[in-house]
Amino acid sequence: MRIVEERISDVLVEIVNLNRATLSEANNLMVLIQRGINDGYVKIIVDISTCEYIDSSFLGVLVAALKKVANRGGDVKLVGFKPAVQSMFELTRMFRVFETFSDLQKALKSFSNK
Amino acid sequence: MTTDNKYKVLLVEDDENISRLFSYNIKKSGYECELAVNGREGFDLTKSFKPDIIISDIMMPEVDGFEFREMLLNDPDLRAIPFIFLTAKGAEEDILKGYDLDIQEYIIKTASPKIIMAKLSAILKSGEKERIKAEGEVQKAADSMGAKVVPDAFPNFDGFVIKHWHVPFHNIPGGDFIDYFKIDENNIVIILGDVMGKKWGAWYFAVAYAGYVRSAIRFAVQSNEKITASEIMNRVNASLCEDERISEVFVTLSVVLLNKSDSTANYCGAGDLPIIYYDGSEASMIKSKGLLLGFSKDAGYEDVEIKLKPGDELYMITDGILESRNANSVPYENEGIIKSIKQKSDEDSVERVKREFTEYTQGKFEDDVSLIYVKMN
Repeated sequence: MRIVEERISDVLVEIVNLNRATLSEANNLMVLIQRGINDGYVKIIVDISTCEYIDSSFLGVLVAALKKVANRGGDVKLVGFKPAVQSMFELTRMFRVFETFSDLQKALKSFSNK
Repeated sequence: MTTDNKYKVLLVEDDENISRLFSYNIKKSGYECELAVNGREGFDLTKSFKPDIIISDIMMPEVDGFEFREMLLNDPDLRAIPFIFLTAKGAEEDILKGYDLDIQEYIIKTASPKIIMAKLSAILKSGEKERIKAEGEVQKAADSMGAKVVPDAFPNFDGFVIKHWHVPFHNIPGGDFIDYFKIDENNIVIILGDVMGKKWGAWYFAVAYAGYVRSAIRFAVQSNEKITASEIMNRVNASLCEDERISEVFVTLSVVLLNKSDSTANYCGAGDLPIIYYDGSEASMIKSKGLLLGFSKDAGYEDVEIKLKPGDELYMITDGILESRNANSVPYENEGIIKSIKQKSDEDSVERVKREFTEYTQGKFEDDVSLIYVKMN
């Protein structure tokens, strides 16, 4: 499965098992996240450790999800950055938009620290 | 369809022998095929795999074919995917129920594979024709509205050459937009925007965003305020943060205000890529600090002043250029574009950059490709 979902306590985790995360998978991710939000989740982690490339459609879904849950006191955090994705995030100031972590455990811990 | 132009077929069938046989024939015909064993799995796969056509058995455990079809009909994103019932039953009641559920075809399993594949092929081609026709009609409507997101002509601005190059992704109007707003004889605003998304969905928002930017500039001009790129950006951002209709679709934007009388380019960016400044020997990336538009009212927009001399060039680009790849999957990136910019040749700079980029990527672009070129004479 390209996107694997796990629900860990009150945190929704979407693990993106894709080399290239683009438009078609972006729609799929939005469906999954929206379903999670409808089920009451506002703490979301998206693991993009395997992604060599993320296009603007996929990034747009992440930003839209963040805005939705932020209005309800939640957050979307990201895990794992390959060099090309890291570089794009730096150039476009996306690191100021998302809190990011090197692994899932640290991201989960950050939610429970609050 | 996949980017390799293969049709995608979802086969929902619980009998392993039959699914193996049909899957073999479907793939032999050049299609991509995914399998599900009941309606529930079929529904989940429809959402993720996004098939061009669904072939489903009727008698299946857990969720049967009829229930599966009803689930699809209740989902506005999935209801229009062509649907075929494939079944051993030839009972009139089942056939009538199938057609009541708005299916395209009803195929008996014992029919020859050639006939089944011929029916499948006919439905897919007819769907493709409908899609092309629908896109043509949308394009006509867009043309008649004058809803262009890229100007047809380059602006005339004495003392400067201003040009652009734009290729929409898969030749379908999409999220990149370009605009020029001449404030007076000495000042022109150059806009390059990139809506996060592709094709018609992004184009719709590109038209809206381009409108917001024009309004912001007009307002600033009429207010007789000193216009700066960051002022324009702040106005656009403030409006967007309050507009619920486009609150979930984000855009990155580069604004350059060119002033002839003091030979400056006043630049402000919102989540955009750096603009490239070339003075004839060195090419440098001029970065901005602001966040993408519509995300936060406190986005940190600042002006960057670039003093220009005759012969200096500016290049504004969207990510479609950096992210497009060659045959070895190596993206063009900043290195590629800067190398092309710095080439000394008699060829027109924009034509050379276009040619080298197109050669590198063999004409296969990953996204809308946009470039604006400014040169001081």
